[in-house]
Amino acid sequence: MTAQLSSPPALGSTPRAGGGTPAAHVARRKRLFWPFLIPTLVLYGLFLIVPTIATVVLSFSDWKGAGDTPKFNGITQYTRIFADDAFQSAFVNSLIYIAVGGIGTFILAFLFTMVLRDMRGNKIIRAILFFPNIVAPVALGMFFGIVYRYQPGRQGLANFLLESVGLKAAKFLEADVVTWVVLGSIVWASSGFYITILMAAVDRIPPYLYEDASIAGASPWQKFRNITLPLTWDVVGIAGVLWTINAVKIFELVFVMAGSGTYAPPIHSWTLGIFVFDRSFGDTPAYGTACACAVVMILLVSVFVVALRRLLRREAIQF
Amino acid sequence: MSTDAVVTTLSTEDRPVRKAPRRPKPAPGTKRLSPLRVIGTVIVWLFTAFNIMVLYWLLGAAFKTPLEIFRDPLALPSQLFKSGRPFRNFIYAWDTADFGTAFLNTVLLVAVCSVVIVLISAPAAYALSRLGVRGSGPLTGFIAIGMGIPFQTVVIPLFIVLAKVNLTNNLFGLGLMYVALSLPFTVFLLTGFFRSLPDELEEASAIDGASPTRTFWSIMLPLARGGLITALILNAIGLWNETLLAIVFLQENANFTLSRALFTFYNAASYQSEYGGLLAGVAIIVLPMLVLYILLARRIITGLTLGAGK
Amino acid sequence: MATVSFRGATRYYAGNDKPAVDGLDLDVADGEFLVLVGPSGCGKSTTLRMLAGLEGVDDGEIWIGDKNVTDVEPRARDIAMVFQNYALYPHMTVHENIAFHLKIAKMPKSERDERVQEAAKLLDLEQYLERKPAKLSGGQRQRVAMGRAIVRAPQVFCMDEPLSNLDAKLRVQTRTQIASLQRRLGTTTIYVTHDQVEAMTMGDRVAVLKDGLLQQCDTPVGLFARPRNVFVAGFIGSPAMNLIPTRVEQAGVTLGGATIPLTPQQRAAVTGTDVIVGIRPEGWDLVDPADGLAVTVEAVEELGSDQYLYGSSDAKLLSEGESVEHQEAPHPIVVRTPGMSAHERGQKLGVRPQPGALHLFDKDSGERLPDA
Repeated sequence: MTAQLSSPPALGSTPRAGGGTPAAHVARRKRLFWPFLIPTLVLYGLFLIVPTIATVVLSFSDWKGAGDTPKFNGITQYTRIFADDAFQSAFVNSLIYIAVGGIGTFILAFLFTMVLRDMRGNKIIRAILFFPNIVAPVALGMFFGIVYRYQPGRQGLANFLLESVGLKAAKFLEADVVTWVVLGSIVWASSGFYITILMAAVDRIPPYLYEDASIAGASPWQKFRNITLPLTWDVVGIAGVLWTINAVKIFELVFVMAGSGTYAPPIHSWTLGIFVFDRSFGDTPAYGTACACAVVMILLVSVFVVALRRLLRREAIQF
Repeated sequence: MSTDAVVTTLSTEDRPVRKAPRRPKPAPGTKRLSPLRVIGTVIVWLFTAFNIMVLYWLLGAAFKTPLEIFRDPLALPSQLFKSGRPFRNFIYAWDTADFGTAFLNTVLLVAVCSVVIVLISAPAAYALSRLGVRGSGPLTGFIAIGMGIPFQTVVIPLFIVLAKVNLTNNLFGLGLMYVALSLPFTVFLLTGFFRSLPDELEEASAIDGASPTRTFWSIMLPLARGGLITALILNAIGLWNETLLAIVFLQENANFTLSRALFTFYNAASYQSEYGGLLAGVAIIVLPMLVLYILLARRIITGLTLGAGK
Repeated sequence: MATVSFRGATRYYAGNDKPAVDGLDLDVADGEFLVLVGPSGCGKSTTLRMLAGLEGVDDGEIWIGDKNVTDVEPRARDIAMVFQNYALYPHMTVHENIAFHLKIAKMPKSERDERVQEAAKLLDLEQYLERKPAKLSGGQRQRVAMGRAIVRAPQVFCMDEPLSNLDAKLRVQTRTQIASLQRRLGTTTIYVTHDQVEAMTMGDRVAVLKDGLLQQCDTPVGLFARPRNVFVAGFIGSPAMNLIPTRVEQAGVTLGGATIPLTPQQRAAVTGTDVIVGIRPEGWDLVDPADGLAVTVEAVEELGSDQYLYGSSDAKLLSEGESVEHQEAPHPIVVRTPGMSAHERGQKLGVRPQPGALHLFDKDSGERLPDA
């Protein structure tokens, strides 16, 4: 590919003076562009873009799965799922995980970051807190399933601890509370990751800013509000986007925790991810429905991401 | 200018030799023990202790009988040790639940895929960040958006297509998908790394007469080694733990990955109250990651935070 | 407005037996501009930070006015500090930066804005008030940092090398501005720098520090004309004073054929056997090589207004009886001559100290010998 005369430089490369022909070696280098990029683009297109488009198209059809031919019927699928109990549960649950979980994790992570900054051994603590992130969600789900068991005589760990301090055992995985229990568990498991990211962002803030604030007489809360928070805002934005993407995807953790293995968990604990799975590979496949839900998932992610970027956008801070 | 404070304290012999205090005084006003800080510190330690206890419980449970797990969760395992078969749970998981095969499958799959992912992503990331081609920015963004596409969105069409090509229930098909679906994140991560490399090296290499491909392989890649290794590790961890696609696409025991095997095992195990074995299975899936983590925690964390620093 | 007093102030760093600041005794008068100067690691920044309350004081006391502030928080000391990298909040505009301290102090908005306007006018920042620091030049940022300090109308200004991040020309410009600003406001100022030219031109008095110890605190003229020890002699003045070791003999000390007699008090003050003779580059007279110290010119530095000749002396600077190993290498000599003189490399010159241009120091202790 011949280099254009006035191609804007990619970030990181020095801009060429004027608009004349780029140096020969630059032009030669540019020929690498497509060969280097094609494998990625092909795989990306084939496995992500095309299927997504297919899913969107299929969501407008009434396809039951293998052995059935899709019949297009407009937005019937969408109206149908919004009337579906299971979908409503799943939608609400996913929303709760995204919004409440996000805010909860954010507050927890900030609290921990501010305390950890001045503690000895904070690197080790951070490593310990980070660990649950590396564990397979399916393993975490099973782990929690066992921990939260309610079976008199063979209580799970949680109830064991409760009983040993004299409190009554609770049915953690019961319909009305299971979402909140799952939420708590997810926040616990993910906090290490967000604490790590936030700490890195806070560490970048030069200490002399805090010194000046000390001279000004700022209280710790004022220092937080006027220095720490604004200067880590962009990282908070990134963390928010990451959380949203991950929260929407939640599947095996809940599936295993609230259910029992290959049987699906009760409807009131479903997430959108579980709904899609059930409508595709469950007992009564309905691919059209599943696709509609999948599209809803994408839309949900997009809405949140756009809202977050709007809310948390500011020009890049240079120190 | 009233005072004429001319003090010379030069000869060190007549100064009394003083020992430094063990810890120099902190700046005035830094309250070490404000109530908020104390509470916060206590909570942090509790949290950490809780995490450690959980790990202990898990590892201990893998060595216990189901009765022990629920009756004495916090005690050290004893039953199995007494009966002389401490590894009974692990053997059960490995053989009866076919974790052994699954383990090998997973190790192979994850290793190969991680390497392939990096092999494909690195040139792409290099091209997008350093070649200064028009539209690189938007193209990078286009690829990065892929990170936000939930797997559930693509599962159905992929399943259909792969069924047609007979690649379902097949580790190769799964591997192909793993590679493709990990590209957005890896490319995104690596563009950040490549962008941070200095320009002068490419120019110097051009002066030396190296071809562009040579420049990439011999100079840029080694420099970005930190980023490449981080990408490798993060992908390995993610793929080791990946479950959704494994559940959908793998049906035969012999082809199972660890997480897939665990998923099936869960149902069987709880039906038979085989909790010890189950937790041994969990331990098998978690322990390699734990070891990896202990060895590489710092690198993993710095790699991630480099991304956050943008 | 207040006086500042360091009484035996000492500061240790963890793991170091040697203190960073060792028993500093220093009194600064109300309204005085005192400069702390010295090489890296001499403890000047640490001293300033102790005054500001950013460092703890391990021993001794610090007084501002009639209050002992040794254990008082920074906020209660009524000081303002200008940091070396300005410490501007990158996410706040210039206006907000300057007003920040006032905002924390809960000053009403109208009064805040008034003060900010005043300071901005004084520092020529009015058109930048709505900009963020990233969009300012180095000099402008420096002025914002000054503005933030001024607007508080504190008792004491602390300035930690505020000019070291500016380019040379801007530095010269700004130091005059700072000095005149201080005179106008009349606030006691403690100013830290490693640049002795800044120290000499800006300070009412200058305190020279080395390795945590105060070497001399005096007016610039005093430091220049009567340095109390070898370190101060060599530190103040550029190019540095020539410091030539000589041996004490019956008649006095010999330098280039001429003998400098020593008074009995001077002899008594000599602890060892050697004396260091200090002569500034401008303190030499050029004579015939036979009549003075013989110097071979090795380099000529032409500045236009002055010319500096760098050479080495051939003469044996230590007396007979010294073995070859003990003799010092040919000693470097710097001589100042009028600019654009006709000197060149390889030329042999003779130099002789001007009467009254000699500084004598004991070699072992470094202290100045009592004046004759």
